[in-house]
Amino acid sequence: MPSVSSLLRLSVVVAGAALALSFPMLAPNPYILSAGVVVASYAVLSTSWNFVGGFTGYISLGHGAYVGLGAYGTGLLIIKAGLPSFAALLLSAALVAALAVPIGIASLRVRGASFVIVSISLVLILLLIFQSWASFTGGSNGLVVPRPFPGLRRPDHHLVFFYLFCALLAVALLSWWVIDRSRFGMGLKAIREDEDKAQSLGTPTFAFKLLAFVASATFTALGGGLYALWFGDLDPVFQFSILTGAYMVLMALLGGVRHLFGPLLGALVVGSALEYFKVEYGSTQLHLVATGLLLAAVVLFMPDGVIPALSDVYNRLFRPRATSIREATAAELRSQEEVRG
Amino acid sequence: MTRRSVETVGLTKAFGGVVAVDDATVTFQDGKINALIGPNGSGKTTFFNCVTGMIKPDAGRAMYRGQDITGRSPHRIARAGIGRSFQLCRIFPRMTVLDNMLVAVRTTSLRAQLANSHNRSDLDRARGWLRRVGIDHLEGVEARNLSYGQQKLLELAGVLMGDPETIMLDEPAGGVNPALIERIAALVRQLNKEGRTFLIVEHNMDLVMSLSDHVVVFDRGRPIAAGPPPVIRADPRVLEAYLGV
Ligand SMILES: Nc1ncnc2c1ncn2[C@@H]1O[C@H](COP(=O)(O)OP(=O)(O)O)[C@@H](O)[C@H]1O
Ligand SMILES: [Mg+2]
Repeated sequence: MPSVSSLLRLSVVVAGAALALSFPMLAPNPYILSAGVVVASYAVLSTSWNFVGGFTGYISLGHGAYVGLGAYGTGLLIIKAGLPSFAALLLSAALVAALAVPIGIASLRVRGASFVIVSISLVLILLLIFQSWASFTGGSNGLVVPRPFPGLRRPDHHLVFFYLFCALLAVALLSWWVIDRSRFGMGLKAIREDEDKAQSLGTPTFAFKLLAFVASATFTALGGGLYALWFGDLDPVFQFSILTGAYMVLMALLGGVRHLFGPLLGALVVGSALEYFKVEYGSTQLHLVATGLLLAAVVLFMPDGVIPALSDVYNRLFRPRATSIREATAAELRSQEEVRG
Repeated sequence: MTRRSVETVGLTKAFGGVVAVDDATVTFQDGKINALIGPNGSGKTTFFNCVTGMIKPDAGRAMYRGQDITGRSPHRIARAGIGRSFQLCRIFPRMTVLDNMLVAVRTTSLRAQLANSHNRSDLDRARGWLRRVGIDHLEGVEARNLSYGQQKLLELAGVLMGDPETIMLDEPAGGVNPALIERIAALVRQLNKEGRTFLIVEHNMDLVMSLSDHVVVFDRGRPIAAGPPPVIRADPRVLEAYLGV
């Protein structure tokens, strides 16, 4: 029997999905619509990041690497191999998945800060490669990716891609949800808490981490590839950017990595703010400062993100009689001690 | 004739200049409650870590029921049937008590891995063990909010969830009150009667002597004596190691 809170949750999800899908109709002009596409792509990326960052607690700042590989893979497969756009997108993601296996095997051996450093160095290496190998990648002159629907006018192009990103987001969210409730997911979350302990209980931690890592890289590459098909122009500086990885981390942490919709919520807030900054202040470095400050504030004051913070407020305002878990426990502990005492 | 449980041959592990386990050749008996005692820093925890694969020994071999397990990774050793607890109780602090238990469920096929973790049979088994150690009323509580004693019971229940034939406990009575020590001792006896082998590192001598069938004594990384409790109690080398005479 569904409880009140799960019905409430379901209705919020349905309302959110309906709102998202009607966004193109509500958008007053093509510019806002294109900003919506950017935000949707951020939602895909941060949700993808959360497959490894959220479940296992391995914080990758270098996920820009898989955005770039997915994007260039898609572009190059269309241009050099003559593949149809969406075949190129899928094949590119499959290649990134295959590449993520050795990368994961190498990088998942180290934990904590070391893992962060390794993840950053990968983006930097790829940036160098794609910049200097100009004969193949177009280098800093960029790579023009042919549009998949050449007949489409610009607003319709945005519209189609907005829905494509939403579809990809739905698949990513569904996969995350399936893992979250599974035994596999329980093992991943145990890794986040205490990896050695999890292994001593029989969890094959390395294989688990690797699987989550490959899933994360693959969804990220799909996001990057779809972006390439939408935007149509790739530059290594933007594709293999540490900033992209930093945005994913910020969005996921802000929304809350323990929640299915945390990274999506974070992407809505941060993505909209970034697009707004771009309009109001042009391409200044202001957004960098804002990003840095926000990241610091989240880590310091809301380590679990806004969703737990909001539900705390909700509980305090609307459910004054329901005690929090911690209070209940304190009482239980006391009665326990009395029994033992 | 007793069957062999965990045994080591020439097991050695050094940290820098400190030889924590020094050429240790010992045998523990299957179906029994074995104890491993020795002064602080004599290498008992390091010995446990080498046997369970948490650290790789520098030399020597570790066997379990005649099978070489040296250098195997911890999850494979766990799956071979050895469960262990940690000296400073390790649980998953931000998971509920029930989820702590469900981590220990073992499956191999991808299909089974993707099945709902909160399924009827896993939940029933988890609740059964929680009831057995006496903390089933706390199943929805985050583990970090338990008292230290309750966390120790949870760790033990989690180990049992993996259904190990052999259970290695590192100071199960450390830092818990006398009533709880009694409860843990009774549980160990019961589980042993049901066929589980125990290897227990413990400082509480009364507990060791009353609980165990076979005692191994370590001093500075080396086994210096082994035998039933009365023999160990009377052994001059053991007295020397403990009292430093
Ligand atoms: N990870 C480690 N690094 C360095 N030295 C260690 C480490 N673990 C244990 N030791 C040293 O090895 C010796 C044995 O320690 P330990 O196995 O914990 O003994 P016990 O459990 O019998 O008290 C001690 O001198 C200790 O300081
Ligand atoms: Mg110790």
